[in-house]
Amino acid sequence: MRRLAALGAVALLAASCGGDDEGVRGDLEGITVFGAASLTEVFQEIAPNATFNFAGSDELATQIREGAPADVYAAASPRYPDELFEEGLIEEPQVFATNRLVLIVPADNPAGIESVEDLMADGVKLVVGAEGVPIGDYTRTVLESMGMTDVLENVVSNEEDVKGVVGKITSGAADAGFVYVTDAAAAGDDVEAIELPEEAQAVVQYPIAVVVESENAEAALEFVDLILGEDGREALENAGFGPP
Amino acid sequence: MRRAFDIAFAVAAGLVLAFLLLPILALFIRISPAELLDALWSDVALDALWVSLKTGLIAHFFVLLIGTPAGYFLATKRFRGRGVLITLVELPLVLPPAVAGIALLALFGRRGLLGEQLYALGITVPLTQAAVVMAVTFVAMPFYVRQAIASFETVDPALIDASRTLGASPQRTFWRVALPLSATGLGAGSALAWARGTGEFGATIMFAGSLQGLTQTMPLAIYAQLDLNPDIAIAIGALLVLVSLTVLLSVKLLPSWTRFTSISYISSAPSGSSSS
Repeated sequence: MRRLAALGAVALLAASCGGDDEGVRGDLEGITVFGAASLTEVFQEIAPNATFNFAGSDELATQIREGAPADVYAAASPRYPDELFEEGLIEEPQVFATNRLVLIVPADNPAGIESVEDLMADGVKLVVGAEGVPIGDYTRTVLESMGMTDVLENVVSNEEDVKGVVGKITSGAADAGFVYVTDAAAAGDDVEAIELPEEAQAVVQYPIAVVVESENAEAALEFVDLILGEDGREALENAGFGPP
Repeated sequence: MRRAFDIAFAVAAGLVLAFLLLPILALFIRISPAELLDALWSDVALDALWVSLKTGLIAHFFVLLIGTPAGYFLATKRFRGRGVLITLVELPLVLPPAVAGIALLALFGRRGLLGEQLYALGITVPLTQAAVVMAVTFVAMPFYVRQAIASFETVDPALIDASRTLGASPQRTFWRVALPLSATGLGAGSALAWARGTGEFGATIMFAGSLQGLTQTMPLAIYAQLDLNPDIAIAIGALLVLVSLTVLLSVKLLPSWTRFTSISYISSAPSGSSSS
């Protein structure tokens, strides 16, 4: 329901932005970027004038399939870009960044969680991404390689994107949640991050591609180049993303 | 000229109908009835139906139990600030659901106004089934109370006075005169509150989260399934359309039978009072 409304809002925005053709090259004002929720802060920093629609990568893929007016698609997993590429909806995706998972708890850490093992305790309120949402799938991969899938019994909410998980922690509604290290950094002092074992980490890749139906293909390509280029690289690194 | 005027207005009416009904029609056309039933029989849909039904019934119980006397009080008592109070009761009607969600968190969250004490007592409200009930009650209650106030206000004060002078206690007057005479309006308010509660989304996803079988109501399941399994999302949507249609029809049909029963209540009231 909400995503259909979002679709409508994006359509309106795109219509109002794409109406006039005065978009100067180098000015990314006219383009609409569909980005994974974890890219919210860094993308807005890199291109403050572009129009963004941030949500779960799976949700964005559905919107693009339903004909939403996107110019660029940047996802938190190769799964959906690969599908869309095969369906002929986007150009060939290129990986521009990587990420890793951490466990976050509210700053006052009410459940006293220090490690993934502590999540097994009765009554711990754990929040994760839903299945099919990249952060949700990565979380399950990490827990599987740690042999800790039992902690999923303490899940009290499956969120539709990573920012949903962060919100449940910063508001103090839940005790712990799995997010990307970049989201933990963006949340600042509101949360405390607990590192996960290196050998259990999932391979988190961010592909980006121009949408085939884009009416601003040139500007869209320019945005992709910006992200892949030096400025983008630097901003991504500052936000905590790894190199591709 | 007059004819052109009529045609223009008829076209406008046609546009409104098409705009409102075509999307709903499209929902039913998108998948076959067989697929629809199949999808409704899935675990996700059945769990969502169960969660919606259970939380909806509990919330509705509280809405009726507290809302009816509250509505009667606000309708019949005259005191300073009554108008302000009624306006405040109606505030959640126009409040965006997301605001309801964050407001409930601000009160019951761990760092919330009441939440801090509740946590100290070992009671956590957010992300539980109780949180769903609260979110639904919060958004549905004003629909009922507002309608209850309006219904009780339309009861002729002369009938209340007559009941009292004939020796009936205030309680008896409420049960045997005011309540039956307001039944139509209360029934309509109840149905509207139920419909609003069933559709609750924003406050629930923020305050109660989304967990299949526990807090994932039908609207939340639509949202979660849209990209995983669109058939299930559409099937739940279709089911909710039918539920809404039933609610609407029952509201429209209610007056015809309550008018009859309320009259019979009035005529039986005096004989009832003499027997007790």
